[in-house]
Amino acid sequence: MNAHDDMTDTGVLSAARDSLSAMPVASPPDVETIMARGRARRRRRYLVPGMTGMLAVAAGAAVAVTTLAPVGHQATARASRQPATRLAAWTVTRLAGGDISVTIRELKDPAGLQGTLRADGVPASVTFASQLNPACRPYPGGTIPWPAQPPTPLLRQVFPKPYGILPPSPHQSRGWSQAPGSGSPPPASPPAGQTVIVIAPAALPGHAGVQIAATDGAGWIGPVQVVYTSPQCTGS
Amino acid sequence: MSNERAEFADFFRTSWEPCLRAVLAVVGSPQQAEDQVAEAFARAWASWRKVRRHPAPRAWVVRTALNAGTSWWRRRSRELPLAGHDLTASGRPGEGLDASLLTALRHLPLRQREVIALRIFLDLDTGTIARQLGIEAGTVRTHLSRGVMALRRELMATNDHGG
Repeated sequence: MNAHDDMTDTGVLSAARDSLSAMPVASPPDVETIMARGRARRRRRYLVPGMTGMLAVAAGAAVAVTTLAPVGHQATARASRQPATRLAAWTVTRLAGGDISVTIRELKDPAGLQGTLRADGVPASVTFASQLNPACRPYPGGTIPWPAQPPTPLLRQVFPKPYGILPPSPHQSRGWSQAPGSGSPPPASPPAGQTVIVIAPAALPGHAGVQIAATDGAGWIGPVQVVYTSPQCTGS
Repeated sequence: MSNERAEFADFFRTSWEPCLRAVLAVVGSPQQAEDQVAEAFARAWASWRKVRRHPAPRAWVVRTALNAGTSWWRRRSRELPLAGHDLTASGRPGEGLDASLLTALRHLPLRQREVIALRIFLDLDTGTIARQLGIEAGTVRTHLSRGVMALRRELMATNDHGG
Protein backbone atom coordinates (compact mmCIF):
# COMPACT_ATOMS: atom_id res chain seq x y z
CA MET A 1 0.00 0.00 0.00
CA ASN A 2 1.31 3.43 -0.81
CA ALA A 3 0.43 7.00 -0.05
CA HIS A 4 -2.06 7.35 -2.90
CA ASP A 5 -4.04 4.16 -2.31
CA ASP A 6 -6.62 5.66 -0.03
CA MET A 7 -6.78 9.09 -1.64
CA THR A 8 -10.20 10.58 -2.15
CA ASP A 9 -11.09 11.90 -5.55
CA THR A 10 -10.49 15.39 -4.25
CA GLY A 11 -7.10 14.34 -2.98
CA VAL A 12 -6.14 12.88 -6.35
CA LEU A 13 -7.22 16.05 -8.13
CA SER A 14 -5.32 18.19 -5.65
CA ALA A 15 -2.18 16.11 -6.07
CA ALA A 16 -2.50 16.34 -9.83
CA ARG A 17 -3.07 20.09 -9.65
CA ASP A 18 -0.08 20.61 -7.40
CA SER A 19 2.16 18.56 -9.58
CA LEU A 20 1.05 20.02 -12.90
CA SER A 21 1.04 23.56 -11.55
CA ALA A 22 4.72 23.22 -10.82
CA MET A 23 5.49 22.78 -14.49
CA PRO A 24 6.82 25.96 -16.08
CA VAL A 25 4.59 27.63 -18.64
CA ALA A 26 5.11 30.61 -20.88
CA SER A 27 4.58 34.05 -19.46
CA PRO A 28 1.70 35.95 -21.02
CA PRO A 29 2.26 37.97 -24.17
CA ASP A 30 1.78 41.72 -24.08
CA VAL A 31 -1.86 42.48 -23.39
CA GLU A 32 -1.81 45.33 -25.91
CA THR A 33 -0.92 42.87 -28.63
CA ILE A 34 -3.74 40.59 -27.60
CA MET A 35 -6.13 43.53 -27.63
CA ALA A 36 -4.93 44.64 -31.04
CA ARG A 37 -5.60 41.19 -32.34
CA GLY A 38 -9.04 41.28 -30.78
CA ARG A 39 -9.73 44.65 -32.37
CA ALA A 40 -8.72 43.25 -35.75
CA ARG A 41 -11.20 40.44 -35.28
CA ARG A 42 -13.92 42.90 -34.34
CA ARG A 43 -13.11 45.09 -37.32
CA ARG A 44 -13.34 42.17 -39.71
CA ARG A 45 -16.64 41.17 -38.19
CA TYR A 46 -18.15 44.55 -39.03
CA LEU A 47 -16.22 45.12 -42.24
CA VAL A 48 -17.53 42.23 -44.26
CA PRO A 49 -21.15 43.41 -44.63
CA GLY A 50 -19.96 46.92 -45.43
CA MET A 51 -17.60 45.71 -48.09
CA THR A 52 -20.36 43.67 -49.68
CA GLY A 53 -22.38 46.83 -50.06
CA MET A 54 -19.47 48.70 -51.56
CA LEU A 55 -18.90 45.94 -54.06
CA ALA A 56 -22.48 46.15 -55.24
CA VAL A 57 -22.34 49.92 -55.72
CA ALA A 58 -18.97 50.05 -57.40
CA ALA A 59 -19.20 47.00 -59.60
CA GLY A 60 -17.40 47.33 -62.88
CA ALA A 61 -14.66 49.68 -61.79
CA ALA A 62 -11.14 48.37 -61.84
CA VAL A 63 -7.90 48.91 -60.04
CA ALA A 64 -4.45 47.58 -60.72
CA VAL A 65 -3.34 45.14 -58.13
CA THR A 66 0.32 44.76 -58.78
CA THR A 67 2.99 47.26 -59.54
CA LEU A 68 6.49 46.31 -60.53
CA ALA A 69 8.19 49.62 -60.91
CA PRO A 70 11.57 49.14 -62.58
CA VAL A 71 10.66 47.48 -65.81
CA GLY A 72 7.64 49.60 -66.37
CA HIS A 73 5.19 46.79 -66.54
CA GLN A 74 2.25 46.11 -64.40
CA ALA A 75 1.53 42.52 -63.75
CA THR A 76 -2.18 42.02 -63.55
CA ALA A 77 -3.68 39.57 -61.19
CA ARG A 78 -7.13 38.18 -61.26
CA ALA A 79 -7.91 40.32 -58.26
CA SER A 80 -7.35 43.40 -60.39
CA ARG A 81 -10.94 43.33 -61.57
CA GLN A 82 -12.11 44.40 -58.15
CA PRO A 83 -14.03 47.66 -57.81
CA ALA A 84 -11.99 50.85 -57.52
CA THR A 85 -13.23 51.56 -54.02
CA ARG A 86 -11.57 48.45 -52.75
CA LEU A 87 -7.89 48.02 -52.15
CA ALA A 88 -6.14 45.28 -54.04
CA ALA A 89 -5.85 41.96 -52.28
CA TRP A 90 -2.10 42.22 -52.54
CA THR A 91 0.55 44.39 -54.09
CA VAL A 92 4.10 43.62 -55.15
CA THR A 93 6.52 46.52 -55.43
CA ARG A 94 10.21 46.57 -56.24
CA LEU A 95 12.11 48.78 -53.83
CA ALA A 96 15.07 50.97 -54.72
CA GLY A 97 17.74 48.51 -53.57
CA GLY A 98 16.29 45.61 -55.52
CA ASP A 99 14.31 44.21 -52.64
CA ILE A 100 10.71 43.31 -53.22
CA SER A 101 7.87 44.38 -50.98
CA VAL A 102 4.75 42.26 -50.79
CA THR A 103 1.70 43.78 -49.14
CA ILE A 104 -1.12 41.38 -48.43
CA ARG A 105 -4.52 42.72 -47.50
CA GLU A 106 -6.71 39.77 -48.29
CA LEU A 107 -6.00 36.11 -48.72
CA LYS A 108 -6.99 36.02 -52.35
CA ASP A 109 -5.41 34.95 -55.60
CA PRO A 110 -2.33 33.17 -54.31
CA ALA A 111 -1.56 31.88 -57.80
CA GLY A 112 -1.47 35.44 -59.09
CA LEU A 113 0.89 36.54 -56.35
CA GLN A 114 3.07 33.49 -56.88
CA GLY A 115 3.26 34.13 -60.62
CA THR A 116 4.10 37.78 -60.09
CA LEU A 117 6.91 36.99 -57.70
CA ARG A 118 8.32 34.36 -60.04
CA ALA A 119 8.10 36.77 -62.95
CA ASP A 120 10.16 39.17 -60.92
CA GLY A 121 12.84 36.61 -60.28
CA VAL A 122 11.84 35.29 -56.89
CA PRO A 123 11.40 31.52 -56.82
CA ALA A 124 8.24 31.45 -54.78
CA SER A 125 5.45 29.25 -53.55
CA VAL A 126 2.31 30.98 -52.32
CA THR A 127 -0.63 29.19 -50.77
CA PHE A 128 -3.66 30.73 -49.13
CA ALA A 129 -5.47 27.45 -48.82
CA SER A 130 -4.91 26.63 -45.17
CA GLN A 131 -2.02 24.39 -45.96
CA LEU A 132 1.57 24.59 -46.97
CA ASN A 133 2.78 23.42 -50.32
CA PRO A 134 3.76 19.83 -49.46
CA ALA A 135 6.36 19.88 -52.21
CA CYS A 136 8.36 22.60 -50.46
CA ARG A 137 11.29 21.60 -48.29
CA PRO A 138 12.43 24.28 -45.83
CA TYR A 139 15.99 25.48 -46.12
CA PRO A 140 18.13 25.00 -42.99
CA GLY A 141 17.78 28.09 -40.85
CA GLY A 142 15.03 29.39 -43.05
CA THR A 143 12.10 28.94 -40.70
CA ILE A 144 11.25 31.32 -37.89
CA PRO A 145 12.06 29.55 -34.67
CA TRP A 146 9.68 29.30 -31.77
CA PRO A 147 9.17 30.71 -29.24
CA ALA A 148 10.41 34.26 -29.35
CA GLN A 149 13.87 33.37 -30.52
CA PRO A 150 15.73 35.81 -32.70
CA PRO A 151 15.60 35.14 -36.42
CA THR A 152 18.50 33.28 -37.93
CA PRO A 153 21.08 35.23 -39.99
CA LEU A 154 19.62 33.73 -43.14
CA LEU A 155 16.13 34.95 -42.26
CA ARG A 156 17.43 38.43 -41.47
CA GLN A 157 19.13 38.57 -44.85
CA VAL A 158 16.30 37.21 -46.96
CA PHE A 159 13.56 39.09 -45.07
CA PRO A 160 15.43 42.24 -44.05
CA LYS A 161 12.50 44.23 -42.78
CA PRO A 162 9.94 43.32 -40.20
CA TYR A 163 6.73 42.02 -41.49
CA GLY A 164 3.35 42.50 -39.99
CA ILE A 165 0.87 39.87 -39.16
CA LEU A 166 -2.67 39.75 -40.40
CA PRO A 167 -4.21 40.12 -37.91
CA PRO A 168 -1.63 41.31 -35.38
CA SER A 169 -0.27 38.30 -33.60
CA PRO A 170 0.33 38.05 -29.88
CA HIS A 171 3.52 36.24 -30.69
CA GLN A 172 5.93 38.77 -32.04
CA SER A 173 8.31 35.96 -32.79
CA ARG A 174 6.35 35.35 -35.95
CA GLY A 175 7.90 38.46 -37.30
CA TRP A 176 10.62 40.57 -35.85
CA SER A 177 10.62 44.19 -34.96
CA GLN A 178 14.14 45.01 -36.00
CA ALA A 179 17.11 43.16 -37.33
CA PRO A 180 19.47 42.86 -34.36
CA GLY A 181 22.50 45.03 -34.74
CA SER A 182 21.11 46.96 -37.66
CA GLY A 183 21.29 50.17 -35.68
CA SER A 184 18.49 51.68 -37.67
CA PRO A 185 15.19 52.61 -36.12
CA PRO A 186 12.45 50.09 -36.70
CA PRO A 187 10.30 51.02 -39.67
CA ALA A 188 6.76 52.02 -39.06
CA SER A 189 4.43 49.13 -38.51
CA PRO A 190 2.20 48.32 -41.43
CA PRO A 191 -1.39 49.43 -41.09
CA ALA A 192 -3.55 47.09 -39.11
CA GLY A 193 -4.97 44.32 -41.20
CA GLN A 194 -2.06 44.22 -43.60
CA THR A 195 0.97 42.05 -43.86
CA VAL A 196 4.06 43.52 -45.45
CA ILE A 197 6.85 41.14 -46.32
CA VAL A 198 10.10 42.43 -47.77
CA ILE A 199 12.14 39.90 -49.71
CA ALA A 200 15.78 40.39 -50.68
CA PRO A 201 16.21 38.12 -53.72
CA ALA A 202 19.95 38.78 -53.79
CA ALA A 203 20.30 37.21 -50.35
CA LEU A 204 18.74 33.93 -51.36
CA PRO A 205 21.29 31.14 -51.33
CA GLY A 206 21.63 29.00 -54.44
CA HIS A 207 18.73 26.66 -54.95
CA ALA A 208 16.64 28.62 -52.46
CA GLY A 209 13.33 30.35 -52.82
CA VAL A 210 10.63 31.59 -50.50
CA GLN A 211 7.37 30.18 -49.33
CA ILE A 212 4.51 32.41 -48.22
CA ALA A 213 1.60 30.55 -46.77
CA ALA A 214 -1.63 31.32 -45.03
CA THR A 215 -3.38 29.91 -42.91
CA ASP A 216 -6.74 29.31 -41.42
CA GLY A 217 -9.94 31.12 -40.63
CA ALA A 218 -8.05 33.46 -38.35
CA GLY A 219 -6.27 34.90 -41.37
CA TRP A 220 -2.73 34.61 -40.17
CA ILE A 221 0.05 34.94 -42.65
CA GLY A 222 2.61 32.31 -42.08
CA PRO A 223 4.92 30.74 -42.32
CA VAL A 224 7.15 32.90 -44.41
CA GLN A 225 10.24 30.84 -44.91
CA VAL A 226 13.18 30.02 -47.12
CA VAL A 227 12.75 26.76 -49.02
CA TYR A 228 14.70 24.68 -51.49
CA THR A 229 13.71 25.41 -55.05
CA SER A 230 12.06 22.68 -57.05
CA PRO A 231 9.67 22.61 -60.01
CA GLN A 232 6.86 21.49 -57.73
CA CYS A 233 7.54 24.08 -55.04
CA THR A 234 8.92 27.23 -56.60
CA GLY A 235 8.49 26.45 -60.26
CA SER A 236 12.15 26.10 -61.09
CA MET B 1 -6.79 53.25 -19.96
CA SER B 2 -10.56 53.01 -19.99
CA ASN B 3 -12.39 50.93 -17.44
CA GLU B 4 -13.05 48.19 -19.93
CA ARG B 5 -9.44 48.03 -21.00
CA ALA B 6 -8.22 48.00 -17.43
CA GLU B 7 -10.74 45.34 -16.56
CA PHE B 8 -9.70 43.16 -19.47
CA ALA B 9 -6.01 43.70 -18.76
CA ASP B 10 -6.55 42.59 -15.19
CA PHE B 11 -8.54 39.57 -16.30
CA PHE B 12 -5.85 38.68 -18.82
CA ARG B 13 -3.06 39.06 -16.26
CA THR B 14 -4.70 36.88 -13.66
CA SER B 15 -6.24 34.32 -16.00
CA TRP B 16 -3.48 33.64 -18.52
CA GLU B 17 -1.69 31.02 -16.49
CA PRO B 18 -4.65 28.91 -15.27
CA CYS B 19 -6.22 29.02 -18.71
CA LEU B 20 -2.94 28.06 -20.34
CA ARG B 21 -2.43 25.18 -17.92
CA ALA B 22 -5.95 23.91 -18.53
CA VAL B 23 -5.52 24.01 -22.29
CA LEU B 24 -2.05 22.51 -22.02
CA ALA B 25 -3.46 19.61 -20.05
CA VAL B 26 -5.88 18.93 -22.89
CA VAL B 27 -3.75 19.52 -25.97
CA GLY B 28 -0.38 18.39 -24.60
CA SER B 29 1.82 20.73 -26.63
CA PRO B 30 2.95 23.94 -24.91
CA GLN B 31 3.34 25.84 -28.17
CA GLN B 32 -0.05 24.81 -29.39
CA ALA B 33 -1.63 25.64 -26.06
CA GLU B 34 -0.04 29.11 -26.00
CA ASP B 35 -1.20 29.79 -29.51
CA GLN B 36 -4.77 28.74 -28.85
CA VAL B 37 -5.03 30.56 -25.54
CA ALA B 38 -3.69 33.75 -27.07
CA GLU B 39 -6.27 33.51 -29.81
CA ALA B 40 -8.99 32.88 -27.26
CA PHE B 41 -8.04 35.97 -25.24
CA ALA B 42 -8.07 38.03 -28.43
CA ARG B 43 -11.57 36.78 -29.09
CA ALA B 44 -12.49 37.52 -25.49
CA TRP B 45 -11.45 41.15 -25.99
CA ALA B 46 -13.32 41.30 -29.28
CA SER B 47 -16.45 40.24 -27.39
CA TRP B 48 -15.55 41.63 -23.99
CA ARG B 49 -18.94 43.12 -23.22
CA LYS B 50 -20.41 39.66 -23.54
CA VAL B 51 -17.55 37.74 -21.95
CA ARG B 52 -17.29 40.00 -18.90
CA ARG B 53 -20.87 39.10 -18.02
CA HIS B 54 -20.26 35.41 -18.55
CA PRO B 55 -20.68 33.40 -15.34
CA ALA B 56 -17.27 31.81 -15.84
CA PRO B 57 -15.14 33.96 -18.15
CA ARG B 58 -12.06 31.79 -17.71
CA ALA B 59 -14.06 28.77 -18.75
CA TRP B 60 -15.20 30.74 -21.79
CA VAL B 61 -11.58 31.38 -22.70
CA VAL B 62 -10.59 27.74 -22.25
CA ARG B 63 -13.58 26.52 -24.22
CA THR B 64 -12.82 29.02 -26.99
CA ALA B 65 -9.16 28.06 -26.99
CA LEU B 66 -10.02 24.42 -27.37
CA ASN B 67 -12.47 25.22 -30.15
CA ALA B 68 -9.88 27.33 -31.91
CA GLY B 69 -7.64 24.33 -32.07
CA THR B 70 -6.44 24.84 -35.61
CA SER B 71 -3.54 27.14 -36.10
CA TRP B 72 -0.90 27.28 -38.67
CA TRP B 73 1.71 26.56 -36.05
CA ARG B 74 0.05 23.30 -35.23
CA ARG B 75 -0.38 22.46 -38.87
CA ARG B 76 3.22 23.36 -39.45
CA SER B 77 4.37 21.04 -36.73
CA ARG B 78 2.32 18.28 -38.28
CA GLU B 79 3.27 18.86 -41.86
CA LEU B 80 6.88 19.93 -41.61
CA PRO B 81 8.63 18.07 -38.84
CA LEU B 82 12.04 19.62 -39.34
CA ALA B 83 14.96 18.69 -37.24
CA GLY B 84 16.34 21.70 -35.47
CA HIS B 85 14.21 24.27 -37.16
CA ASP B 86 10.72 23.48 -36.27
CA LEU B 87 8.37 22.68 -33.47
CA THR B 88 8.16 19.43 -31.70
CA ALA B 89 4.61 18.20 -31.71
CA SER B 90 4.96 16.76 -28.25
CA GLY B 91 6.17 19.97 -26.70
CA ARG B 92 8.68 20.05 -23.89
CA PRO B 93 7.69 17.50 -21.31
CA GLY B 94 8.63 17.95 -17.75
CA GLU B 95 10.22 15.31 -15.67
CA GLY B 96 9.11 12.78 -13.10
CA LEU B 97 5.59 12.97 -11.78
CA ASP B 98 4.68 16.04 -13.83
CA ALA B 99 5.55 14.32 -17.06
CA SER B 100 3.94 11.04 -16.11
CA LEU B 101 0.75 12.83 -15.10
CA LEU B 102 0.71 14.75 -18.34
CA THR B 103 1.22 11.49 -20.18
CA ALA B 104 -1.60 9.91 -18.23
CA LEU B 105 -3.81 12.86 -19.09
CA ARG B 106 -2.96 12.59 -22.75
CA HIS B 107 -4.02 8.98 -22.74
CA LEU B 108 -7.48 9.90 -21.48
CA PRO B 109 -10.30 10.44 -23.96
CA LEU B 110 -10.70 14.11 -24.91
CA ARG B 111 -13.84 14.71 -22.86
CA GLN B 112 -12.23 13.27 -19.74
CA ARG B 113 -9.21 15.50 -20.28
CA GLU B 114 -11.42 18.55 -20.67
CA VAL B 115 -13.41 17.76 -17.55
CA ILE B 116 -10.27 17.12 -15.50
CA ALA B 117 -8.59 20.29 -16.77
CA LEU B 118 -11.58 22.49 -16.04
CA ARG B 119 -11.88 21.02 -12.55
CA ILE B 120 -8.19 21.13 -11.69
CA PHE B 121 -7.13 24.48 -13.08
CA LEU B 122 -10.32 26.53 -13.08
CA ASP B 123 -11.87 24.88 -10.05
CA LEU B 124 -15.25 24.72 -11.75
CA ASP B 125 -18.10 22.78 -10.22
CA THR B 126 -19.84 19.99 -12.05
CA GLY B 127 -22.77 22.11 -13.19
CA THR B 128 -20.56 24.81 -14.69
CA ILE B 129 -18.39 22.25 -16.44
CA ALA B 130 -21.51 20.64 -17.85
CA ARG B 131 -22.77 23.96 -19.18
CA GLN B 132 -19.40 24.82 -20.69
CA LEU B 133 -19.02 21.52 -22.46
CA GLY B 134 -22.69 21.21 -23.35
CA ILE B 135 -23.12 17.86 -21.66
CA GLU B 136 -25.16 16.52 -18.78
CA ALA B 137 -23.94 16.90 -15.22
CA GLY B 138 -24.12 13.13 -14.82
CA THR B 139 -21.84 12.71 -17.80
CA VAL B 140 -19.39 15.16 -16.23
CA ARG B 141 -19.39 13.09 -13.03
CA THR B 142 -18.74 9.92 -15.03
CA HIS B 143 -15.84 11.50 -16.94
CA LEU B 144 -14.46 12.94 -13.75
CA SER B 145 -14.65 9.62 -11.97
CA ARG B 146 -12.92 7.73 -14.77
CA GLY B 147 -10.31 10.41 -15.20
CA VAL B 148 -9.56 10.49 -11.50
CA MET B 149 -9.25 6.71 -11.53
CA ALA B 150 -6.62 6.93 -14.25
CA LEU B 151 -4.74 9.69 -12.44
CA ARG B 152 -4.84 7.72 -9.21
CA ARG B 153 -3.30 4.75 -10.99
CA GLU B 154 -0.58 7.00 -12.31
CA LEU B 155 0.08 8.51 -8.91
CA MET B 156 0.28 5.03 -7.40
CA ALA B 157 2.62 3.79 -10.10
CA THR B 158 4.88 6.80 -9.69
CA ASN B 159 4.88 6.35 -5.97
CA ASP B 160 5.78 2.67 -6.33
CA HIS B 161 8.61 3.41 -8.74
CA GLY B 162 9.87 6.22 -6.63
CA GLY B 163 9.96 4.03 -3.56
